[in-house]
Amino acid sequence: MAFLDNSGDIILDAVLTDTGRARLAKGDGSFSVVKFALGDDEIDYELYDLTQPSGSAYYDLEIMQTPILEAFTNNTSILKHRLISLPRTNLLYLPVILLNQTFEGNATSTVVAGTPAPTGVFLIGVDQATEDALFAATTFTPDSSGLMMGERPASGGGYIRADQGLNTTEISPAFTLDADLVETQYIIRLDNRFGQICNKDGELASVSFVDDDNIASYYFSLGTDTQYVHENSDTDTLATQVIGGPRGTFVEFKVRASLELNTSDYLFDVIGGATTMTIPAAPPNETYKFIDSMIRVTGATTGYALDIPVRFAKIVVP
Amino acid sequence: MATTFKTFLNDDTVTSRTLLHEAIPITGSIPWGTYPIAGAAGSNIKEYTHGMFQSVYDYPYLSSSANHIFDLTIGVSANSSLVVTNQLAKKRNIYNQMAQVLVGYDATGAIQRFDQDGDLIAGGVKYDDLIFINFARLLGKDEIKKGTFQITVDTTPAFCGGTYGACVPYAVWPYNNPAANLATDGQLIIGDQGSPGTTPAGILVEWPSAETDYRVNSPAGEYGILRVQTIWDPAGPGPYVGGADYLGLNPCWEPACGLIFYQAGVVALSKDIFRAYVSPGAPPCPDPILEANRGKNDALVDTDMGALGVFIDVALAVNDIDYLCTAFRNRIHEICFNNTTELNSTIYFCRVNHNDFNYSSNPTYLHNSKIRVKSRTTDAPISYITTVGLYSADNELLAVAKVSEPLRKDPTNDITLRVRLDY
Repeated sequence: MAFLDNSGDIILDAVLTDTGRARLAKGDGSFSVVKFALGDDEIDYELYDLTQPSGSAYYDLEIMQTPILEAFTNNTSILKHRLISLPRTNLLYLPVILLNQTFEGNATSTVVAGTPAPTGVFLIGVDQATEDALFAATTFTPDSSGLMMGERPASGGGYIRADQGLNTTEISPAFTLDADLVETQYIIRLDNRFGQICNKDGELASVSFVDDDNIASYYFSLGTDTQYVHENSDTDTLATQVIGGPRGTFVEFKVRASLELNTSDYLFDVIGGATTMTIPAAPPNETYKFIDSMIRVTGATTGYALDIPVRFAKIVVP
Repeated sequence: MATTFKTFLNDDTVTSRTLLHEAIPITGSIPWGTYPIAGAAGSNIKEYTHGMFQSVYDYPYLSSSANHIFDLTIGVSANSSLVVTNQLAKKRNIYNQMAQVLVGYDATGAIQRFDQDGDLIAGGVKYDDLIFINFARLLGKDEIKKGTFQITVDTTPAFCGGTYGACVPYAVWPYNNPAANLATDGQLIIGDQGSPGTTPAGILVEWPSAETDYRVNSPAGEYGILRVQTIWDPAGPGPYVGGADYLGLNPCWEPACGLIFYQAGVVALSKDIFRAYVSPGAPPCPDPILEANRGKNDALVDTDMGALGVFIDVALAVNDIDYLCTAFRNRIHEICFNNTTELNSTIYFCRVNHNDFNYSSNPTYLHNSKIRVKSRTTDAPISYITTVGLYSADNELLAVAKVSEPLRKDPTNDITLRVRLDY
């Protein structure tokens, strides 16, 4: 009788993230580990081959051969996708979060001209002159799509909406999404140097915290933040819905440009685009400085995350 | 309710303390042989305009790759019998500074002197002329491990520039009066590791290792007594040619020759390591010849300590600190010790039960919201673990650990991942 091999005992060495070090340095007790999560950022589940003729033992052969990266210490660069605990094992569908661009004013921009063309992003004018110039431009299709007012969000412009639910045509939207799959809290993260989250009326939201990388986190909960999180009670198949199956909740918000972007070109020059952006307008063409960034919408319950590209633009005054 | 976090319970964390030791060997060629001499371009020896100490690096110190190894300096007490004519104030300042930090003050507030056996109250032999080796924190880490320190010093001029390569500007050290260089015509191996020996008459002279025999009456922490463990005479003339250990033959020779402060990472060596001792013959102690010769600046009993055959007492009196550091540096044959790093760890037991973390929020996990790893509802969900994150109460990622290969997780297995966070 052979001995059992116990050399595979799993003990892992953890490294502090930059946020962990910062909190440790504060010495105010904010460094306190209370919970853990597991991630699978490197895994491409498309490699799971249910048609593998050699049998089920070979379905995940390629996944198991995935090389694992060393830990990043940037807290925002790692564990972007967490594993989910659900007591039930009979689920075949899981909810997703999708960008809803079907309503007027909440689509990403589609331009037929412009260099480089700001297509597929939300274009945020950071000051009044930029807002006026962008909305006067005739190149956006449909008119003013993807344009957001960074200085005067209450005055109009587009907004961002993300819907949650089972995006499948296999199940009718008339069915109610199981309660344990309904997202009840959203976390929205964006670079605090560029802007702040506000509701559609332009009222600023309270930031939960800003980490050492200037990433601000906002938490919005169903029932509490009624301006932001809503139940999606629409059970019909409509053109304004992007979730094909049972629907849960949706979150909608605007972005107000930061004072720094509003009053200074510094960040545009330092971390902005290498070239300026030109958008045709009633003559002459307007030239803009811009910064491309991302807004991440994460479901706090289900862990699903959606990255939304945004471009902060500022007109170059001749 | 879906969740992506699991809260630690009280019995899921444990703290531990581990002492990590590294062996640190410093070959003599680093302080004197590998790179150009101090002051020359590309030297690994840094001298300062104040001239109070020298710094030794492992690489030319102007390079960003250089690591600081140790500093060397000389201290002379106000009670010294030497008539110091060069840098008297600086040598005294060094002695007092080191004594303040390492030995402390007496009841009257006066700075105490370094004591040979560490018994400050009882008086006894004091060290008034000391060579200090201050090891960099990079090497010493939290402390030097007791009972591991050893320094081998070449006490004959023949070694320098001959056997062990060039050591300019002291390349030619005159072999001064070879007939007198008996025991010191070779190497002294000094350490804190204990030094058993037997006298010719069979009396056991045993010095315990500092691992179990150290002092705690220093304000700088624990310290041990450095003793001469071996005297070798491998090459020169005299009765001990070929590697005889002189020490075991001489019960009257006082082997204590310095102190080592473990937490401070400082070695204080007596100048007496550069003195010659004539074989005293048989017990009883003290040997009259030895005692008669102690402290004399006599060509018959002292060892060369300079380019021109300067003896140690003369050198300490008339030469500056840089000169003395260079002279000592050129005689270091080897230094070795183990350092100690105190690791305080918290181990988090990440217990993943059979029904935990079986699904993923990875975008590739779904295709049109359908789970890729299942073809029917009765199939077991599968996920693959590559990363463990430790979070604060407000969901901020504080620490992260990676596994070496994906770990398959499904409802048929449970996993406990032990994640260690070192401080």
